[in-house]
Amino acid sequence: MDFEALWLTLRLAASTTAILLLIALPLAWWIASGKGAGRAVVQALVALPLVLPPTVLGFYLLVMLGPLTAPGRMLTHLFGHALAFSFSGLLIGSALYSLPFAVQPLVAGFGVVDRGYVEAAATLGASPWRTFWSVVMPLSRASLLTSAVLAFTHTVGEFGVVLMIGGNIPGATQTLSISLYDQVQDFNYRAANRTALVLVVISLAALIVIYSRRGSGLGRGELV
Amino acid sequence: MQHRQGVLAFDVSFHLAQPWTVLFGPSGSGKTTVLRAIAGLMRPDAGRIVLHRAVPSILFDSATGAFLPAYRRSVRLAAQVAALFPNRTVRQNIAYGVPSASAGIVEEALERFHLTGLAESPPWKLSGGERQRVAVARAAASAITIGTGSLLLLDEPFAGLHLPLRDELLDDLRGWLGAKKTPVLSVTHDVGEAFQLGAEVIKFSDGRVVEQGPVETVLAEERARLLEQLSRLQR
Repeated sequence: MDFEALWLTLRLAASTTAILLLIALPLAWWIASGKGAGRAVVQALVALPLVLPPTVLGFYLLVMLGPLTAPGRMLTHLFGHALAFSFSGLLIGSALYSLPFAVQPLVAGFGVVDRGYVEAAATLGASPWRTFWSVVMPLSRASLLTSAVLAFTHTVGEFGVVLMIGGNIPGATQTLSISLYDQVQDFNYRAANRTALVLVVISLAALIVIYSRRGSGLGRGELV
Repeated sequence: MQHRQGVLAFDVSFHLAQPWTVLFGPSGSGKTTVLRAIAGLMRPDAGRIVLHRAVPSILFDSATGAFLPAYRRSVRLAAQVAALFPNRTVRQNIAYGVPSASAGIVEEALERFHLTGLAESPPWKLSGGERQRVAVARAAASAITIGTGSLLLLDEPFAGLHLPLRDELLDDLRGWLGAKKTPVLSVTHDVGEAFQLGAEVIKFSDGRVVEQGPVETVLAEERARLLEQLSRLQR
């Protein structure tokens, strides 16, 4: 069992989930709070990784983060090293690739919170910030859990983007899925079997967490 | 204030001069829309809404583009649908719009609205009438804590309540808000309720103010019609 790859994968998934929740919460609330062309475009951009081949996203990121582009040079200057083939680069790629998995459940969750609650809070003098945290979020806890679990598991299981942007550097960018690929390439089926089993267990456990929360009464947004 | 909503074109102008004013009119005449505009939940197409406090507070002015967001207005609204926060108890719902320094007002509201026994209940355990009482108590308690210059908006506050209880609550609420000097603008299409409140009445029809004045004058026709109906039924 490649514990180094397991540790790296869990570290990457946890960091990606934390970053994604910070980005996804305000973004999803903004998308769910209104209509219009601007929101439709942003929602489409957020959902793009769902339909793009991961290698396409990985390729663009590789170019963007490399020394050939201005943003790449700026980021290199900022971080003190090139982001491609590094953990930081992997983090950026993972965050972009898993963004729709964090945003979509929250948009759906916020969408079913009746506007009547938001209006009631506003007409009781609550600022939008207080309304969001004291009214909207408690009614969307199930969506928040789904968002976090999906972002985490999707990062654990990603392959194409990681390979393109991170390569296959043990201890730095070699995640479990890359390690599994390596093991199969080496005809080490015994090790591959163990790695695959770990990935299955992580994914199954995450799904059980999501489905066991269904019907628990969390996330009810209907007006009473 | 002017506004177009669907097929209804609003053109409304009035001043609130009495502690309690009633917007009276048939369903669909635009009363709720006027309350929502004053509360800041919608932006009229044109016009001006001013809350006269020690210093006048401009809530909306299309000429200057001013629009004060709902949460920054000294206006509290109890809408037709109670919208009680489901993750909070009755007491916590009432306390939501009350600063912690004025916590005593929450107990007072619970008592006045006959809700003390339900204080720790979640909203889903309440009947429709109880929810409505909590919603009015919540808005009233919050309006009272604002102090001078606040305005309480009530959209058919006790519609559907058992009549003796409604009458008792209305009398009590009027006394309480009067003592706290909190002015009220409420909406009703119930002649009996308007007379019971003895309030100034603004008669509304198809998005326009038809008449404004004491209830005995403005609703004299409706009262006569109601009495005639009752006497016909007795015969």
